[in-house]
Amino acid sequence: MSDVLRLTWTFLWLSFLCVGGGVGVIPEMQRQVVQNHQWVTAREFVDGYTLAQLTPGPNMLIAAFVGYRAHGVPGALLATLAMFLPTSLMAILVADRWRRWRDHPWAGAAERALAPVGMGLMAAGVYTLARSALHDALTIALALGAALVLATRWAPPMLVVLVAGLVGWLLGA
Amino acid sequence: MFTWTGILSIGGGRAAFFYEALVVRRRWLGTDEFLQDYTLAQLLPGPNVSNLAITLGHRLAGLPGAAWALLAVVVPGLVILLALAVLYFARGLAPTTTSLMHGMAAGVVGLLLVTSVRLMRPVLVNARAVVIAAGTFAAVGPLRLNTALVLLVAAALSLWLHRPAAGR
Repeated sequence: MSDVLRLTWTFLWLSFLCVGGGVGVIPEMQRQVVQNHQWVTAREFVDGYTLAQLTPGPNMLIAAFVGYRAHGVPGALLATLAMFLPTSLMAILVADRWRRWRDHPWAGAAERALAPVGMGLMAAGVYTLARSALHDALTIALALGAALVLATRWAPPMLVVLVAGLVGWLLGA
Repeated sequence: MFTWTGILSIGGGRAAFFYEALVVRRRWLGTDEFLQDYTLAQLLPGPNVSNLAITLGHRLAGLPGAAWALLAVVVPGLVILLALAVLYFARGLAPTTTSLMHGMAAGVVGLLLVTSVRLMRPVLVNARAVVIAAGTFAAVGPLRLNTALVLLVAAALSLWLHRPAAGR
């Protein structure tokens, strides 16, 4: 199988593992794109996620970043299509029926059942990114500082991330 | 149909932006309808933001609405991110860029910590939910088990524990 096809196929099945938020798929995505296929390094992966976070739109656009590294612009477009198109088609198919199903007792049960699973996956995603991003005292301090500022809602998220970058640059993170 | 173009103005973003733009400002749908689609977007596999855009677009303008909403949410970000990726890989190894990226990545982790805690608070309301979430985290995070496998087992187990007859 050619590597472009492998890239497309990988993001396609990864997209179906996004349950309750994209961050949850990060551990598996990291394993596939860093360890298994070596399209990006662990450092590039976390930097790609950072850039996707700074960009408007879904963070799962990180697919485009990885795709670009592996196979240029065509790789980026294919990875993005694989990430968004199949699950979107499924959403359209289900949206109609959902209006009939949602009063069913199992619909409510599914909602309550999947939410904590999604939360566990999300926590694992944050853990995976933290392991690559926090490699010394300075980066740990920056992350905790950013969390503290954001928890008290002093400043908007993007400003906090940019300031963290500036501080990292000044102190040579 | 052309009013739907308005979605482009928000250029993608988070659920709160959609709520603000569609329910509060334009009054195209009610809070109740919005929450219905929000739940569905969470339940369905796939990136949440695009799922939400698709279901809202579909509700407002059918298939063309859904297609347009997907494009509006993905394309602007894709163009920007591609530009950043080109810059990053062209000059990524320069020491200045490296320390800037290290700082920003740490900031993003801080942001994710805060967002996750906020999202978890209303979900982890009983011991059952906490145990399921903690088990899923341990399996996928530190234990590095295959996510598809964990998801299958955890979802089945959780569905059983939350089955309608078992009550809330």
